[in-house]
Amino acid sequence: MDVFIEIQESLANILDMDKQDIAPESYLVRELDVESIDLLELAVVLNSKFGIEIIDDEIFLRELRIYLMDADENESDTENYLQEKYPFLAKERINEILKSYNDGPVLKVKDLVSYVEWRK
Amino acid sequence: MKLTFTGKNVLIPGGSCEMGICLAEFLINENLFPMLTYRNEKGRNAILKELSSFKGKFEALPLDLGDPDSIDTLFKKIDSPDFLVDFAQSHYENFVASASRDDVYTYFEENVSSRAEIIKRVARVMLEMKRGRLVFISSAAAQVSNPGQGFYAASKCASEALYKNAGLEMGRRGITSVILRPGYADSGRGRAFLQANKENDVLTKVPIRRTLTVTEIAEAILFFLSDSASGFNAAVIPLDGGLTACKD
Repeated sequence: MDVFIEIQESLANILDMDKQDIAPESYLVRELDVESIDLLELAVVLNSKFGIEIIDDEIFLRELRIYLMDADENESDTENYLQEKYPFLAKERINEILKSYNDGPVLKVKDLVSYVEWRK
Repeated sequence: MKLTFTGKNVLIPGGSCEMGICLAEFLINENLFPMLTYRNEKGRNAILKELSSFKGKFEALPLDLGDPDSIDTLFKKIDSPDFLVDFAQSHYENFVASASRDDVYTYFEENVSSRAEIIKRVARVMLEMKRGRLVFISSAAAQVSNPGQGFYAASKCASEALYKNAGLEMGRRGITSVILRPGYADSGRGRAFLQANKENDVLTKVPIRRTLTVTEIAEAILFFLSDSASGFNAAVIPLDGGLTACKD
């Protein structure tokens, strides 16, 4: 079961859009116009499809800004702090997020793939 | 008007109460399948006794709101609910300034936090089916309460907000909610209260000058579960003979 293909299919279904418009690098909120109810539905579908527990706040990086503020307040190394909070994301991805979070919601389809693979 | 229903399984937390059992009979007559929960042996026995002539047409399951494992276990056992009718409520009456901290914490955990967990579980199952109906049995006390009912009223108000929000968050996906606020009813706690307060002539505060019957409340719930009521969503509806509309 190719995780990306399954997630792509689920998203295409939920968002009523073409599969080819959904790539691993697609931003869910910024580009695909995903809303909270879509994310909720996606979490339910992924739980069902892969038989894994999905923690919505984790997979959708909901608390990213809180973590960034915490790291700042405690003067911790932000990269390591985020790595701890998001063990399913690769170091390169964390750095990518740190460079782009001011431009809007950071969540990409490839993050969902990482989460599911980590949970399996 | 003949009522029609989309779905079959009706999860009824707290269904061991008189209203729950009465509703279960109506549901069975409509070919729906009630899954009633009980907290203790007394509740279980009440369900099995009153519904003894309907073997195989309902289920009785344990649910302890104070125990998260109990909620887990329940959801492992049941078929996907198409409807939720929530009567579950534990009892606690005390002046706000008298209550013990532990009692308060436990009470809100059981009657608000656990309820949130149940709504979440049910809603996520309903999301997969893209339809579902949630009915919360609140109380007129959520609007006007009596001394000693502060915690009861608080938990009902908080729970109402959860149900309202569930309906407005998921309405687009076909999941809707209705909140009923029954007034003085001739059953359970209501009957006990009225008997304890006979001298105060409580019913003079009710414009229709009578208590509600268990049957009419169950019939109202049945209506709100039906397709005819699907336009109601995130709605709070008093069922109190005019009690809360009335100043004195």
